[in-house]
Amino acid sequence: MPSQAGDVEILRGIDLAIDAGESVGIIGPSGSGKSSLLMVLGGLERATAGRVEVLGQDLSAMDEDALARLRREGMGVVFQSFHLIPTMTAIENVATPLELAGRDDAFEQAAKLLGEVGLGHREGHYPAQMSGGEQQRVALARALAPGPRLLLADEPTGNLDGKTGQAVIELLFGLSGDKDATLVMVTHEQPLAERCSRVISMESGKIVGDTGTAAPAEITPNAGEAA
Amino acid sequence: MIAALRARMAAELAEANLHFAWRVAKRELRGGLAGFRIFLACLALGVAGIAAVGSITAAIQAGLAAEGRTILGGDASITLTYRRASAEERDWMAAQGVVSEVADLRSMIGTVVEGGPPDRALAQVKGVDGAYPLYGAAELESGRALQDAIAENAANDGRWGLVAERALVERLGAQVGDPVSLGTGTFTLTGVIAVEPDAAAGGMALGPRAIVASNGLAAAGLLGEGTLYETLYRIRLDPSASLDAIERDYAERFPEAGGRWRDRDNAAPGIARFVQRIGAFLVLVGLAALVIGGVGVGAAVRGYLTRKVPVIASLRTLGAPAGTVFAAYLMQVGVIALFGIVIGLALGGGGIALLGPWIAEQLPVPARFALYPAPLVIAGLYGLLTAALFALWPLSWLREVRPAELFRLSAGGQGGGFRLPRLRMTLFLIGLSVAFGLIVAALSGAAKLALSVMAGIGAALVLLRAVGWLAARGAARLARGPLGRKRPVLRLALGAIGAPGGGAVDITMALGLGLGVLAAIGQVDNTMQRLITNQLPAGAPAFFLVDIQPDQLDPVQARLAEIGGVESIETAPMLRGVITELEGIPAREAEIDPGAAWVLRGDRGVTYSTEPPEGAVLTAGEWWPEDYDGPPLVSFIDEEGRQLGLEPGDAITVSILGRPITATIANLREVEWQGLGINFIMVMSPNALQGAPHTHIATVYADTAAEGPILRALGTEFLNVTAVGIREQIERVSGALGDLGAATRWGALAVLLTGLAVLIGAAGTAAERQVSEAAVLKVLGAERKTILASLALRAALLGAGAGVVALLWGTVAAWGVAEFVLDAEFAPAPGQALAIILGGAVLNLGAGLAFAARPLRLRPAGVLRVQAG
Repeated sequence: MPSQAGDVEILRGIDLAIDAGESVGIIGPSGSGKSSLLMVLGGLERATAGRVEVLGQDLSAMDEDALARLRREGMGVVFQSFHLIPTMTAIENVATPLELAGRDDAFEQAAKLLGEVGLGHREGHYPAQMSGGEQQRVALARALAPGPRLLLADEPTGNLDGKTGQAVIELLFGLSGDKDATLVMVTHEQPLAERCSRVISMESGKIVGDTGTAAPAEITPNAGEAA
Repeated sequence: MIAALRARMAAELAEANLHFAWRVAKRELRGGLAGFRIFLACLALGVAGIAAVGSITAAIQAGLAAEGRTILGGDASITLTYRRASAEERDWMAAQGVVSEVADLRSMIGTVVEGGPPDRALAQVKGVDGAYPLYGAAELESGRALQDAIAENAANDGRWGLVAERALVERLGAQVGDPVSLGTGTFTLTGVIAVEPDAAAGGMALGPRAIVASNGLAAAGLLGEGTLYETLYRIRLDPSASLDAIERDYAERFPEAGGRWRDRDNAAPGIARFVQRIGAFLVLVGLAALVIGGVGVGAAVRGYLTRKVPVIASLRTLGAPAGTVFAAYLMQVGVIALFGIVIGLALGGGGIALLGPWIAEQLPVPARFALYPAPLVIAGLYGLLTAALFALWPLSWLREVRPAELFRLSAGGQGGGFRLPRLRMTLFLIGLSVAFGLIVAALSGAAKLALSVMAGIGAALVLLRAVGWLAARGAARLARGPLGRKRPVLRLALGAIGAPGGGAVDITMALGLGLGVLAAIGQVDNTMQRLITNQLPAGAPAFFLVDIQPDQLDPVQARLAEIGGVESIETAPMLRGVITELEGIPAREAEIDPGAAWVLRGDRGVTYSTEPPEGAVLTAGEWWPEDYDGPPLVSFIDEEGRQLGLEPGDAITVSILGRPITATIANLREVEWQGLGINFIMVMSPNALQGAPHTHIATVYADTAAEGPILRALGTEFLNVTAVGIREQIERVSGALGDLGAATRWGALAVLLTGLAVLIGAAGTAAERQVSEAAVLKVLGAERKTILASLALRAALLGAGAGVVALLWGTVAAWGVAEFVLDAEFAPAPGQALAIILGGAVLNLGAGLAFAARPLRLRPAGVLRVQAG
């Protein structure tokens, strides 16, 4: 992967295919490359070698704007640090990807989703005016707003206490399941990873364990492939 | 005993705390000045501007003081109007020291062309004696000695010589050696003036300078009775002589002579006053720049404290009292402010001292460039007060914020943020502002102007702050309203403007104040230019004719009436006199409104008439009967008359040709000066003046095509009559106003530069937020063009908004100056208005786009990971 000091070998020999509809937990110690793998899957970071295909598209052949369009049309990302836009209220944060997609009903949808994550009463609040759990729920609503086929979550409970984290996880699994989204979640909590249909273990940039794909019945025929 | 012990402990603790605070400050400052570049730029620019203006003013004042005797042409000077000194006066002067007599008048100089009409030009002619100049040296471009060049000798073709400024020689199209006409005589043009040592002492010159010998001037008939001239007697005194004693002696011996005294300590009071006023005005413009810089200072301190929240939180948790933390950061800001002030003083004071020789060449008055401490101390003081005013507000937050709040903030959570300081600090800041205003008023030398400008700046700041706050609220509301729906770029832009910390307030204040000052200065300039130039087509005369002898009055009128295009001619008898007493009290001792001081300062025009001047409106008293033959009566202009405390029945004494005439005020009348018709301060009853030798003045109303024939007719048949072309004079005044406007625009440039520094600072602060915002937007699927459009739109909207506000308050300020100071019809400048608004948008857009590359370029993963880490 590229860095200011030159290319750095973070991910090595990754050969991974995830089928549509799967929920995948990626687990491993700090520095094992699990977040980098997630970033590469989201087109947020480029691999310097190899081939990455997501949602049927070859990411290595796409420029920044094409990657942005791909995310807009088919992906949602949830971060450990929430990454809400601080200058926007909760509803504006959720409506933004819908607006970018040119949806006329952006705010109506955003309001509905905020209601689904239990924050209908916090629509006009700025991120700084909300607790961590509330911010992550806004982030989750935002990630799910455009109806993504792939939901990427990078340690979504890492900054939350146990109880709040649990509530967010319930929402994450519930909503991604409801919307038939493929879920790829990075975590360092084994029990959380085990809630997924498939668990991949990483160490030093390599996949060292994979519980395997789920039943063939759960795979959508035109599913994308990540390698 | 216990109380004393407790007090001592408290003192020791406080001392220990200050030591600790200083140690913390030093450790924090080790991090360098990276976050304070804009802080330094804002303060340094403002201080540099004020230091530069102050240094130039001080250099000119020092130049005027040092060159006083050269400018004046002697240690003391006595000016008489329309007459030379009596034998008694000359004897008294000769007893004081070496005397030089100089006559000064306006006249026409023409070429001598056989068989063709001559070219004629108005000149300010100086007739000098053999002792001229008593101090300094007059130099000609050829290097020839002046006295030789103006003498009547064979080298000058047997004629009196005449030397002139290059402008006059070029206007006449003459060459050195050519014969030229002046009055009734013919002179030889013998040289071009390179240095006229006493040039700056002259009053308002209506034309370029020419110098001839006094005797030559007399021979040309220009020092005859009734001719409009001044005689200046310069005296070289013994160095030990007391100027005050000699002035008193002169006033006691010749109380009615009407002589005006000047000495080397006050050689060019007009210029000194002008320089002082312009200097004071430009310092105030510089202060506006400094205050704008203050906005940047405040923003920089807020930004710095925000970055230091984790440090502050740790210090508080470790037991540092709020006051100690406040002191530690106050010390840091203080050290950096001092650094910025020193940079500003070095740039302003040092820069001017270094550029001195070049600047001196551009100035029409003598200047001695050096490092003058006084203006630097003043600029430093202003810088310090500005830094204190704008930094204390955000710093006071440190005294109020709770450690828990700090930790929430450092974890990126909810916090109270910056808010209004507590009552005690608010009162302190208000007190400091008032003290600042009073200090500026006291030091500026133009207290009223300074106070109004400071109050104006203060009011503009409060207004702009309120507008900025309202704009942010409005933008946030619009972003959430129907306008923002379905327009993500616009909503992103409006949302960013309206968000807490979106920079709307800082940018509105900095840009609004900067552009507002520009708008005000530009429109005042426009009003003044319009005031001068608009008079011309609106029926102003083409020429003033002066020095028409009584026997020439009818022939001149008859000759001019023959010329096609001459519409009308107005004439009036013309004398000049100095008001020496008001109600029996010597004029110089009378207590009067300063607005009318000019009336008593020099000699003023006087006429006589049987009936009121055309268009005059009597506001008090009555006009005298046509055949009035009683004691002298006078009609005085209303406004200045009232300012002098005069009303019908009061007596004034006017010295005319050295003869005191005491007249009773018969009436006051209103005069419309702007029409440029013939107006006199004083109109006397005919019997008061008819015996006095005098000439006539005329105004000639004519179209432009007639101007050439008029000049030719006068040049051929009435050589002694001087024609002052109004169009030419308007151009001269317009040019002078243009120079003044240029000086002001340099001041305004300092304002704009500081404003730009604040904008760059605000854009830089916003850029950090925009980097993460752009990263998140990219995650959400925004293309780079969408992000760029949003960044550009928010900058342009905010800039244009600030431009609109600037235009509004700048126009109100300019209207106020036009209405109440210039007493003129306000002339708005719509083109400039548009330029101001566009300028605001472009400036802020430029500052915003300068920082847009990074948010667009950086990959989201890198940015978001750094933020998470």
